[in-house]
Amino acid sequence: MSERTRTIRVGSLARVEGAGALTIRLQGKRATAVELTIFEPPRFFEAFLRGRSHREVPDITARICGICPVAYQMSSCHALEDALGVRVDGVLRTLRRLLYCGEWIESHSLHVFMLHAPDFLGYPDAVAMAKDHPEAVKRGLRIKKAGNAIVARLGGREIHPINVRVGGFYRAPARNELRGLLPEIEWACSAVRESLAWISRFSFPDFERDYEFVSLRHASEYPFSEGRIVSNRGLDVTPREFDAICVEEQVPHSTALHARLRDRGAYFCGPLARFNLNFDRLSDVARDAAVAAGLRVPCHNPFQSILVRLVEILQALDEARGIIAAYVPPERASVEVHPRAGTGYGATEAPRGMLFHRYTLDESGTVTDARIVPPTSQNQKSMEEDLLTMAETLSELPIDQATWRAEQAIRNYDPCISCSTHFLDCRIERE
Amino acid sequence: MGLRVIGLGQSAAGDDAVGFAVLAQLRQMGVPEGVELLEANDATALMALLETPHRVIVVDAVVGHPRIGEVVELAEGAWPTTLGGLRPLSTHGVSLQQAVDLARVVAAGTTALEIVLVGVAIAPPERYTSGLSPAVKAAVPAAARVVLARAGG
Repeated sequence: MSERTRTIRVGSLARVEGAGALTIRLQGKRATAVELTIFEPPRFFEAFLRGRSHREVPDITARICGICPVAYQMSSCHALEDALGVRVDGVLRTLRRLLYCGEWIESHSLHVFMLHAPDFLGYPDAVAMAKDHPEAVKRGLRIKKAGNAIVARLGGREIHPINVRVGGFYRAPARNELRGLLPEIEWACSAVRESLAWISRFSFPDFERDYEFVSLRHASEYPFSEGRIVSNRGLDVTPREFDAICVEEQVPHSTALHARLRDRGAYFCGPLARFNLNFDRLSDVARDAAVAAGLRVPCHNPFQSILVRLVEILQALDEARGIIAAYVPPERASVEVHPRAGTGYGATEAPRGMLFHRYTLDESGTVTDARIVPPTSQNQKSMEEDLLTMAETLSELPIDQATWRAEQAIRNYDPCISCSTHFLDCRIERE
Repeated sequence: MGLRVIGLGQSAAGDDAVGFAVLAQLRQMGVPEGVELLEANDATALMALLETPHRVIVVDAVVGHPRIGEVVELAEGAWPTTLGGLRPLSTHGVSLQQAVDLARVVAAGTTALEIVLVGVAIAPPERYTSGLSPAVKAAVPAAARVVLARAGG
């Protein structure tokens, strides 16, 4: 075969949250360039937060994303509470986990059933897939609704919840309000098992890479909001220490910063990282379902992330069920918060991966500096490296199949381009 | 037959909240009996609201129109979805057209037979903004009148 060069270009990447494009230049079996281009204008949230009261931050940062607003609220609350010397424990902490369960369920089910499953079955989108698999799609939509209902009940509304504050909540729900969620949660648990059985029969591309997986790890829980930041290569730091080693860089082809670990390079965060680093923290129900679906730890095949997301939906449903069953409303919906000067650090696990926030406050509790590192920024390098590694396979495929596979590989990460600065357009160039 | 009017958008994305502003205007003006006013800010939430025996009007922001604040009325099937064309804003990977198409597949028989889009042209939202821009705010009464005309009010 001659050393011809071709370019795979997805001019507008669909089924991702936001707008971006992908260009892969191939020379023979080698990729000479892979550029994940994010062309959404940067939204300057960090600058926008300066001069705002710490009380406003959870509501402002929630607006960064309509899919994972809870993650933004949780990371901002944890970072601000760190700066203010506030600790949220007991039932309030548990309610925060319940809210996060709702977000994982709705975000993961949207991605699994609407955005990613069509890739594996050869459909251009969920609408085409629904014509042949209506029951699977209905199931997915109903699972998502169960997640939305948790967020709405606890957060005040489905998108951009309004009940979260630094120190806890504005209002804690009554026992009956949460108990009403249980029948649909029970139904969703069995629906996820059915979906796992269906999706585990999909054909997964034979692709593995030696990633540095990074996620939170907690002493006893599957990670949502607390823990140390660890990796499979020995990283073990606090969020404060992570701030110093996480380097963000401008690249000419993207409006979103690319993150890497100082002296280490690209890393992989998100469901697959959490699963590999916290398999022993999964509930028995979720762990058994993972094994039954054929998942093994460590899993280095990013295409199997779709299965891991389903396992995490089950984990979240199972935990939500337990929290609601044991729920006794707190005496107060929040703990007292008094302004003071300081810098605080927080990292929580958004559906797409770790979300880091840092805030500096003055003595009145006004934000003087902010740093937000979303999961998609952290995964951009890893996405590009996956495509570099896949170059030989892509070079042997017809252009339409190569483009399909490249887009599917990007969607393994469920990128939220809105968060990182929205869409992907893919182009493969061969010369 | 009744009419269900659904405002679609994000209240914190500036002009993307115009659908909600039009609903507020309709509440203020008063609507004929049999007209429901509902809000959705997620395409999958919208799908559930499309299940009705009544006619549906979705009020949403559209981008791609050269005149910001222009009110457009488009029957289903006439919603351009291509980049560069006039289109409703996508809500998280699932567009209005996809949500409607999906509803017609998974809820065939119970999804509204007639779905019309009343759109207000906005510039693409780029950052956190509260409130509507002056040009879009000025278009709200006109959009409400278009909805009322369809409601027979």
